[in-house]
Amino acid sequence: MAACRALVSRAVLPLHYHHVCRGVMLTHVREKKRWMKAYTLIMERKRKMEGPPPPKPRSQQPNFDYHAEVEAFGARLQESFSLELLKTAFVNTCYLRSEEERRRALGLDLETTALNLKDNGKLCVHGQKFTKGFLSEWCRGSFPSLPEEGVAAIVGHLTGSEVMCHVARNLAVEDLTMSAEFPVPDEILKETFFAVIGALEESSGPVRAGLFIRDFLLTQLIGTDLFDMWKVVDPMGLLVKELTRKGIALPEPRLIRSAGASTVLPLYFVGLYSDRKLLAQGPGETVLAAEEEAARVALRKLYGFTENRRPWDFTAHREQLQKPSTQALTSG
Amino acid sequence: MTARGTPSRFLQSVLQNGVGRYVCQLKRISLVFSKKGQGSLGVRDFIEEGVVDFAKNNPGTVVYISPQSCRIPKIVAEYLNGNVKEETVTNKTSQEIADLITKLSNQSGLDIIRIRKPFHTDSPSIQGQWHPFTNRPPSIDPVGPQAK
Repeated sequence: MAACRALVSRAVLPLHYHHVCRGVMLTHVREKKRWMKAYTLIMERKRKMEGPPPPKPRSQQPNFDYHAEVEAFGARLQESFSLELLKTAFVNTCYLRSEEERRRALGLDLETTALNLKDNGKLCVHGQKFTKGFLSEWCRGSFPSLPEEGVAAIVGHLTGSEVMCHVARNLAVEDLTMSAEFPVPDEILKETFFAVIGALEESSGPVRAGLFIRDFLLTQLIGTDLFDMWKVVDPMGLLVKELTRKGIALPEPRLIRSAGASTVLPLYFVGLYSDRKLLAQGPGETVLAAEEEAARVALRKLYGFTENRRPWDFTAHREQLQKPSTQALTSG
Repeated sequence: MTARGTPSRFLQSVLQNGVGRYVCQLKRISLVFSKKGQGSLGVRDFIEEGVVDFAKNNPGTVVYISPQSCRIPKIVAEYLNGNVKEETVTNKTSQEIADLITKLSNQSGLDIIRIRKPFHTDSPSIQGQWHPFTNRPPSIDPVGPQAK
């Protein structure tokens, strides 16, 4: 191998030989490359030391055309957005700030290379207000006996970071978001999604935006339990308040069944009777736990949020475009 | 391998797709092929005839055509839930590639692994799940066989 390298002069460079840099030359030869094993082991060690490479946003990976992606985003959701508003909705303030920093650091003159992008602050506020208003109205319509704190708790859960970011990630909003950091922080993603809803409301009107929220946010309520979203510390007190408001007799707890009282896993069923009629019964490991569970079951029955309730109607789609009455959007 | 040795999942949909409106889960499809290689012949024929119709029929999917010098032509499909699926299409005919692309666009991005149950429900019981105390008259006495 060394003999081959010595024979090659700079003037004559046969096929398969190329200069990597001034002192190093790579010769492509067919024989067993004895340096390959050492080289591979060194690269493996380097890779293990450095760990996996940091994730890159999809816009910086090959095959990404922003305009086409934004158009496809609207077409996929079967909504016609105004493309200008939609592109503005994806631009965040942190991105504008970081871009200006970068341009200043590169020494570019700010007047000639001004960023003429508007950020999504106004759209975000508008979208948030619209979403919260729509969700509260829908909750009040679907659950007429649910008190205000319950409605606020459900709306808070649906517009909270977890649910909003889960929906945004599965609708490819994260790919199109322009933000300073990657992976996009939850807060920024939530704001971007609100801005998208605001852009939709301004492009297509409140009816279509309402249908969008119903199809993507309210479907996340399927399979959830009321008291997972609404933390109630004293269900018995709340039940007493509800029943006094309705004028029904106060609940009396009675032990209905017990099994395994002296074992490690006792089971007690406590029933709540108002005026000698059974309101609800609930199980528990201790009598107090069973009483609390029975109060929760009674509250679920009162508010209509039981597991065997009638499913909400998500099919009313085309008719709503002609009849923009919010009454029709809520279910019985 | 056995069921315990391979991964499995429950029947589910991405974001309750279909309950509200149906959203096509394929967001991006890239056709990576070579301009001269013989393995990419089918891909080149498909690009001549069928890809524009596919793109027109699926406005929600972005189609990228990237000719590169590669030995094996690939189709890379990216789904809304983040999964990326790569299929090699060496020496396939244009019709086979069209069928493959239709299949990819009809899939949701969930993994193709064993599905534990072919059904799923969020309200498993209407009248209340049976437990040993259902239909027993209430009593605090120790539980024993009922006298008929």
